[in-house]
Amino acid sequence: MRKRETASAKTRRFISNTIVHVCLAVLAVIWLFPIFWVILTSFRAEKGSYVSSFFPKSYTLDNYKRLFTDTTILNFPQMFMNTLIIAIFCAVISSFFVLSVSYCMSRLRFKMRKPFMNLAMVLGLFPGFMSMIAVYYILKAIGLSEGSMIRVALILVYTGGSGAGFYIAKGFFDTIPKALDEAAYLDGATKFQVFTKVTIPLSKPIIVYTILTSFMAPWLDFIFAKVICRADAKYYTVSIGLWKMLEKEYIDSWYTCFAAGAVCVSIPIAILFIAMQNMYVEGMAGAVKG
Amino acid sequence: MKKKKVMSLLLATAMAATCLTACGGSDNTTTNNNTTTEGTETTEGTETTENTEEAAPAEEEAITATIKVWSPSEDQSADNGNWLGTMCDEFNAAHPNWDLTFEYGVCAESEAKTQVGQDPTAAADVYMFANDQLTDLIAANGIAQLGGETETYVKETNSEAIVNSITVDDAIYGVPFTTNTWFMYYDKSAFTEDEIKNLDKMLAKDKVSFPLNNSWYIASFYVANGCTLFGDGTDNEAGIDFEGDKATAVTNYLVDVVGNPNFVNDKDGSGLAGLRDGSVKAMFSGSWDYTAVKEALGDNFGVTVLPTITIDGAEKQMKSFAGSKAIGVNPNAQYPQVAVALAKFLGSADAQKKHYELRSVVPCNTELLEQEDVQSDALVVAQNATFDTTSILQPFVSNMGNYWTPAENFGNSLLNGEVTKDNAADMTKSLNESLNTSVVE
Repeated sequence: MRKRETASAKTRRFISNTIVHVCLAVLAVIWLFPIFWVILTSFRAEKGSYVSSFFPKSYTLDNYKRLFTDTTILNFPQMFMNTLIIAIFCAVISSFFVLSVSYCMSRLRFKMRKPFMNLAMVLGLFPGFMSMIAVYYILKAIGLSEGSMIRVALILVYTGGSGAGFYIAKGFFDTIPKALDEAAYLDGATKFQVFTKVTIPLSKPIIVYTILTSFMAPWLDFIFAKVICRADAKYYTVSIGLWKMLEKEYIDSWYTCFAAGAVCVSIPIAILFIAMQNMYVEGMAGAVKG
Repeated sequence: MKKKKVMSLLLATAMAATCLTACGGSDNTTTNNNTTTEGTETTEGTETTENTEEAAPAEEEAITATIKVWSPSEDQSADNGNWLGTMCDEFNAAHPNWDLTFEYGVCAESEAKTQVGQDPTAAADVYMFANDQLTDLIAANGIAQLGGETETYVKETNSEAIVNSITVDDAIYGVPFTTNTWFMYYDKSAFTEDEIKNLDKMLAKDKVSFPLNNSWYIASFYVANGCTLFGDGTDNEAGIDFEGDKATAVTNYLVDVVGNPNFVNDKDGSGLAGLRDGSVKAMFSGSWDYTAVKEALGDNFGVTVLPTITIDGAEKQMKSFAGSKAIGVNPNAQYPQVAVALAKFLGSADAQKKHYELRSVVPCNTELLEQEDVQSDALVVAQNATFDTTSILQPFVSNMGNYWTPAENFGNSLLNGEVTKDNAADMTKSLNESLNTSVVE
């Protein structure tokens, strides 16, 4: 009797596990399908933007080669470097902004704290591109809309408002016991020292998250880059380049290169994530103990 | 997370686009009056300076300037012979009194409206634009009228249709350098010279691909049967006339075309892919696909004007939208006389010839078109014949903005079978209504 019960419980568990796994597998396939397709397309040897079969008829590495060597019309390597430089600056500057603001909001008490948090929330509800033309004219007025200053302008645009996105990091800082801070204060630490020596080492996962999101912003943004770069092809970022490849004049010959470009764009982000993954797990474990 | 970001990016782009179009649309009507007067002022300025310059080139005042020039990136690519750089250097050499430094930027003709319109005061002094952007450029005060010598030159060296394409209220706004339209590419082994004259004969024999849900193309059928857009294309008040029996007959005809097993809709480059693998024998496109089609068809490459269609037993000529690409001058240019002279130089017969040799940009200068080597080029002949005989000027009046989306939707309804012979009259009527309804107001 008992044996039969366990047997049926086992079967039941097996069935429910199977169903769950099948569901998950189906979802995973659906979710990965487009990515898989882009990767396949990037190796496709046939030209053109339209294909009748899912799998390419023949494979080649020429798309990648062309992307990085055929630079007279669309200079992808340069766009890639532009974006990389901007992204590195953004990652450093906005992470600093976000973490600092979050720390202040979480630990310090001042009159404007609540109103500021509400204000940041309300402002965050408006889409950023609403201000793009105004931003352009402000940048023009201070002389940042021409030549190599365009890079500076883009870094400013991507980092300037990032401090307002403090909510997630603040929530994380709130979970770190205040007793730790107080102990440090008793030992004579200043507020800045508490921030750098106590809070930061305890919040690795959120730092990783912040760096990753701010590093990704310039790779994904199209509107601001377009408005600010205008006709200066030398300062285009990858998103403008990829968009150009899909224009009527280029789409037929550049489509497979477009897919290759899309794959290349994900590489720096993936590298950064892999490099920081250890920290992520480590930090998480620390936080649980915290 | 990434997905979300991409999604929000897409939404953001879409919203921005609608924002821009909305603003652009409403601007048109309000600023039209102002721009005419402003435009005239600029003309006077450029006219006088230019006249003196042309009359006595030796007495050109000495100018040292940086001139900003925008063109598509192909014109600046070393692989294609750097047309723009070469021409600008020649221009500099031809004017010894002017010490000019050129600053090049990238802006495709089709983007001039957004790029120049964003900030005309910081835009290029000389740039290239597609003529359908003219209304918006004028509204943004981003383009100057050309007068005097240049105006005469444009009128003398171009066909009337081309001059009309860059004329607004009797004023000329650019130096045209090529035509822009679409025509038919076909496989010579599949169709005979006689068959390509009629679309129905072609459809009876082999696969034909046509972008039916692309509004730039679908109008050709309606225009064939006497429907009009804004009268002769310039009368904003006349509106779009796609009504009555003549339009219904076309809708009925298109229902038959969609039902024909030899008809393949051309979407996302499927027509070109079909030509490559041989599943399609004819497609409709423009000069930008020339190299790819030539490569796909090889010796069987054929290109010609649009065919006729048979409606109610009568043969009607399909007519595509045609426009031109031209070189425009920014009214905010610091040295208008230099900018106007450069625009004229870049649109001159010599420059067009060079453009043709380096990049196969089909010339439109009448003298150049008579030359033998140009005459023997199938693409040039087809494009110009299309422009002259089987096309109408693509209207660029402000209400033309209402045309594109309803026309595209109608193409989709035809393709998915929503439009049938039973409801053709009603559907055509509602199409005509939506074509004449402003989405902005």
